[in-house]
Amino acid sequence: MNYNLNDLQAKMPKSSTWSSLKKLLQLISHERKNLILALIAILVNSTLNLLGPLIIGHTIDTYIFVPHKNYHGVLMNCALLLAMYMVALLTSYLQTILMGGVGQRMLFTLRNSIFNKLQLLPVGFFNQNRAGDLISRVNNDTDKLNQFFSQSLMQFIGSIATMTGAGILLLAVNIKLGSATLVPAVIILIFTALTSSWVKSKNAKNLKSVGGMSAEIQESLNNFKVIIAFNRRDYFRKRFEEANKQNYSTAIGSGIANTTYLPVYGLFSSFAQLIVFVYGIYLISSGENIGIGIVAVTYLSYANLFYNPLRQLASLWASFQTAMAGWDRIAQILSLETDLVTIESDIEEPDASLLEFRNVHFSYDEEREILHNISFKLEQGKTYALVGPTGGGKTTTASLIARLYDATKGTVLLNGRDIRTYEPIVRTKKIGFILQEPFLFTGTVMENILYGNELYVNYSNEQLEQVILEANLGSLLAIFENGLEAKVLSSGDSISLGQKQLIAFMRAVLRKPDLLILDEATANIDTITEKLLSDILEKLPAETTRVIIAHRLNTIENADEIFFVNSGEVIRAGSFDHAMDMLLQGKRVS
Amino acid sequence: MNQKPDNKPKQPGIFSLLKPYSGLVFLLILFALFSNSVNLWLPKIISHGIDDYIHSLIGLRNFDFNPIIIKFSLAVLFIFIFSYLQSIIQTYTSERVARDLRTRLSDKISRQSSAFIEQVTPSKLLTNLTADVDSIKLFVSQALVSIVSSIFIIVGASILLLTINWKLALCVIAIIPIIGGTFFWVLRKVRVLFKQSREVIDWLNKVINESILGAALIRVINSQQLEYDKFLQANTKAKDFGLSILRLFAGLIPVITFAANMAALSILALGGHFVINGSMSLGDFAAFNSYLSQLIFPILVIGFMSNIIAQATASFQRINIVLNTADTSETGVLKETLRGDIELKDVSIVYGQKPALKQISFAVKAGSKIAVIGPTAAGKSQLLFLLTGLLKLTSGEVLFDGRNIGDYESESFHSQVGFVFQDSIIFNMSIRENIAFSDTVTDQSLEKAIETAELRDFIDALPDKLSTIVSERGSSLSGGQKQRIMLARALAINPRVLLLDDFTARVDTSTENKILANVQKNYPGLTLISVTQKIASVEHYDQIILLMEGEIVATGKHEELMKTSPEYVQIFNSQQSTSNYELQSK
Repeated sequence: MNYNLNDLQAKMPKSSTWSSLKKLLQLISHERKNLILALIAILVNSTLNLLGPLIIGHTIDTYIFVPHKNYHGVLMNCALLLAMYMVALLTSYLQTILMGGVGQRMLFTLRNSIFNKLQLLPVGFFNQNRAGDLISRVNNDTDKLNQFFSQSLMQFIGSIATMTGAGILLLAVNIKLGSATLVPAVIILIFTALTSSWVKSKNAKNLKSVGGMSAEIQESLNNFKVIIAFNRRDYFRKRFEEANKQNYSTAIGSGIANTTYLPVYGLFSSFAQLIVFVYGIYLISSGENIGIGIVAVTYLSYANLFYNPLRQLASLWASFQTAMAGWDRIAQILSLETDLVTIESDIEEPDASLLEFRNVHFSYDEEREILHNISFKLEQGKTYALVGPTGGGKTTTASLIARLYDATKGTVLLNGRDIRTYEPIVRTKKIGFILQEPFLFTGTVMENILYGNELYVNYSNEQLEQVILEANLGSLLAIFENGLEAKVLSSGDSISLGQKQLIAFMRAVLRKPDLLILDEATANIDTITEKLLSDILEKLPAETTRVIIAHRLNTIENADEIFFVNSGEVIRAGSFDHAMDMLLQGKRVS
Repeated sequence: MNQKPDNKPKQPGIFSLLKPYSGLVFLLILFALFSNSVNLWLPKIISHGIDDYIHSLIGLRNFDFNPIIIKFSLAVLFIFIFSYLQSIIQTYTSERVARDLRTRLSDKISRQSSAFIEQVTPSKLLTNLTADVDSIKLFVSQALVSIVSSIFIIVGASILLLTINWKLALCVIAIIPIIGGTFFWVLRKVRVLFKQSREVIDWLNKVINESILGAALIRVINSQQLEYDKFLQANTKAKDFGLSILRLFAGLIPVITFAANMAALSILALGGHFVINGSMSLGDFAAFNSYLSQLIFPILVIGFMSNIIAQATASFQRINIVLNTADTSETGVLKETLRGDIELKDVSIVYGQKPALKQISFAVKAGSKIAVIGPTAAGKSQLLFLLTGLLKLTSGEVLFDGRNIGDYESESFHSQVGFVFQDSIIFNMSIRENIAFSDTVTDQSLEKAIETAELRDFIDALPDKLSTIVSERGSSLSGGQKQRIMLARALAINPRVLLLDDFTARVDTSTENKILANVQKNYPGLTLISVTQKIASVEHYDQIILLMEGEIVATGKHEELMKTSPEYVQIFNSQQSTSNYELQSK
C-alpha cells in the first residue's frame, strides 16, 4: 500500500476551500447548542452595534438638520444609544467566549484525531515518509490551525457578522443607495473567487518547500560528523543554499499572492464611499425619501462597517487559507486507512504449531518481491535462529511474524489461526520483538524498561527491582551507573547505543511473551554483557519460543533449529554446521 | 519606538538587522506614509462635499459633483498604487532578510565543530533556521510598516480632528489611552500565558515526535493507547491554556467596542449640540464619525505588533547566540602526506565530571593493523573520534608521524584519514554521491572503493546503478548494505589511515573477511584501527588494545594477551565456539 504523502499529494485532486471547510466542520457537529447560543449573541450584538449609525443619522435628520432643531430629542436618542451599547457590552463578551470556546475545543478534537490516526497507521506509513517531513507536517500544520483558531477565528466571525449586518441594513434602509454601495463588493467577491485557488496553491507550494528545507537541515545536522570527517562543510552549505533559494522563491510567490488582496480591497472600499456620497446626494436632490444625515453619517458608517471588516477579512482570509492548506495536508493523513485490519474468522486448526508461514510472499512495493513462497513452522519452547547475509530478508521475515506487515500472498498462522484474526492486544502479548534500532522515550530508564507493560503498572521502585531480579535481569542493572532513575532525554545522547539495546532487551523480556524475536538485538553489546543476555534467554520459561536474528554465530549455537535466509528464501538448515557451510559458501545477492 | 528608520537605536537590537536593507526599508515606509496620508485626506474630501452641497441648498453657490469625483478618484488610485507597491516591497524585503539570515546562519553552522552541533542539538538549530527566522520575517513584513502607519494615522487623525473642532476632538481622543491602556494590560497578561502555552505545545510536539520516531516499537508493544493518553494529557493542558487566553480576549474586545461607541455617542451629543448652535458644519460632523472609525484599528495594531516585536526580539537573540559563536579556529598548517605512525600520550577526555578516557597511551606503527576491543561504553568510539579530530582531548597528546594532530591543516588531515562510523549515515541522494562524498574522489578511486567494499554486485543489480537515490530511513537498504556504503565512502578518499567503528556488527563474516582481504590488497601500507566486538576477526592483528571503562587494560598480540590478560581470555572464551569454527573453516 502506498503511504507516501508526497506521492499521494501529487495524485490528489485539488479540493475546494468549501469542501475542505465542510470536512473540518464535521469535527464540531456535537457543538450545536453552543454554536446556536453563540450565533444568537453574535446576532444581537451586531444588530445593536449596527443600529447605532442608523439612530445617529435619524437624529440628524429629525432633530439637528431641520428647521426646528430639538436638542432634547438628541439627548433622548443618546440615552437610547447608551442603553443599547451597555447590552452590546454583554453580548459581545458572550459572543467571543462561546465562539472561541467552540474553536478551542475543535482544535483539541482535531489534534486528538490526528494523533489517534498516527497511532492507527501501520509501520509501512512511517517507513515511506521521512521522519523530519512527517514531524514538520504534523507540528507546523497543526500550529497553523492553532494560530487561526486561537487568534483569527473570533475576528473572522465578528467581521463576517458585522459585514453581513451592515450589508442587510444598507439594502433595507434604501435599496437603491444600498445596492449601489455594494457594487464594489461584488467586484471584490469575483476577484477573490477567481484568485483564491491560485493563492491556496501558492501557499501549499510554500508549505511544501518549508517541509523540504527542514528535512534538509535535519539530515545534514544529524550527520554533521560525516560532513566534517570528509571535509564537506560546503555540502551542508550547498544543499541548504539550494533549499533556501527554493524556499525564497516559493515564499515570495505566496507572499505576493497573500498581499494582493489588501490594496485591491482598499481600492474598492474607497470607491464605495464615493458612490455613497455622489449617488446619495443625487438621490436627495432627485426627491428620494432619504435625509442628508442618513447619507452622510449612516451610509458612510455602514460602508465603513461593511468594507473595513472586508479588508480585515482579506488578511484573515489569507491566514484562513494558510490554515486550510495546513488542514488539507492533515486531512490527507486522516483519510489514510491502515491496511492491517483484524479480520473475522473462526477457522482454527487443531494441534497447530505456535507459528507457521504457509506459502508466504511479500513485497514492499509492486516492483520487487522480497520474500518468495516461504513456508516454515515454529514450535513452542524451541529456539530458532535466522542467519544469512545482509539484505537477504531476515528482518522482513521477523516483521511478518510480528505482523508489522501483512503477507502479500499466503498466510501466517499463530496457534493455527490466521494471524490477521487476532486483536492487536492479544497478538502483541504473545509476540515480543526487539528491534534492530532501539528507541527510548523521554523519561527515566525505569519508565523505558516498563514502557507499555501492564503487569507492573502500580509497582514501587523496590518492587520493580525485585521483579527484575526474579526475571534474572539483575546482572544488567549494574550497567546503569546512575540507577534506574537516570533521565533519558529526547536527544538520547546521555545513553549509549549498547545501553539502549539493554533497555530494549529488558523491556521485551519483562513482557513475558510466548514468542520473542531478537533482531540483531545484541549487535552493539560487548560479548560479556551478551553472554549475560544469552544466559537470561536460556532461563526464560521453557514454553517461550525464541527467534534470534544474528550475524554473530555464537549467539545461535544453542538454537534448536537454524533457518538460512537468503535472496528471499528461507531454507531449513538442519544442524549448526550445515548452517555454517551455507553461510560461508552462500553467494551474496544483496 | 521611533518611526524614522534613521533614528533607530545603535545597539545591536533587532533593528540593526535592517541596516543592509535600509534602502528597501526606506522605500517601504515612504510608500506606506504616502498611501496613509492620502487616506487621511479622504474623509476631508467627503466632508467638504457635504458642506458644499448644504451651501448649495441654501443657495450660496452651485454644487458640482465633478471636482469631488475627480479628486477622490485620483486619491484612491494613488493609494492603490502605493499600497500595492508597498506590499510587494514588503514581501520582497522580508523574504530577503529571512533568506540572508538563513544563509548567514548556515554559513556559521557549517564552520562549527561536530561537538558544537551535538551540544546545541540539531533540533535547536533547526528551530533557529525555521521558526526563529520566520518570526523575524513577520517583524519585517508586518510590524515595521504597521507600526509606522498606525502611529502616523493616530497622530494625523488626531491633529485633523483638533483643527476641525478641538473640544469635540478631545472627547474622541480621550478613548485612545483608554483603549490603549486596557489593551496593553490584557496583552501583558496574555503574553505570560502565551509563553506557558508555548511550553505545553513543545511538550505536545515532543509526544508527537516520539510517537513517529518510535512507531515500530509502539506497534510491537501495542502501546498506542498509552501514547494517546500521554498526548491527551498534553492536549488537554493546551486547550486549557487556549481557553484562559480566550477569556482575557473575550473581556477585552467588548471594552474596546464600548469605548469606541462612547466616542460616537459623545460626537452625537456634543457635536449635535455644536451643529445646532451653528459652531460646526454637518460635513465636519460626518468627518468626525469617519475619523473615529479610522482611529480605533491602529491602536489595536500597535498592540498586536508589539507582540510580534517581542517575539522577533527573542528569536533574534537566540539567532545571535549562534551567529556570535566563535568559529573553530584553523591552527594547523602542515599539509604533509601521512606515513601513518600514530601515538597517544597520556590522553584523557572528561565530559563534565565523567572521564570518558583516562590517561591513554599507545603507539601504532605505519602500515600496521590495530584492534580496539572492549565492552559497551568503554570509550572505544571516543578514541576513534579523538583520532579524527572530531573530539578535543582534555589533556595529553595525539601525535601523527610525531607531530601533534592540531598542527595538521584539518582539510589535508581529513583527506587522509578515513572513518567508518558505527551508525549508518546515508544521505538522501544517489549512491555515487554518497560514496564519493568527499569532493577529492576520482572515478578511479570510486571504482576501487566499490570493489573493495564488495558493493559491485549490489550496485549492478539496481535499476539506476550508481545513480540510484537512497534515503535515510527507507527500507531500500539493509543495515549491512548501509555499512558497506559507509566503508566505500571512507575508502574512496584513498586514506592513509582507516578507522572502523564496529564495522563488523552488521556485516556477515564471509563478507567481512572478503572486504578486509580486499583492503589489504588494494590499499597497501594503510594503517588500520578497528574497534570491534569480535576477537576472531582481529586475532592476527599486529596489536590488540583492550579498553574498559576508559582505561587500557591490556595491549599486545592475541597470543600474548591470551597468556597475560584474564579479561581478554574471558571475552575470548565467550566467543570461543564461533572462533573455533571460523578458524577451522579458513
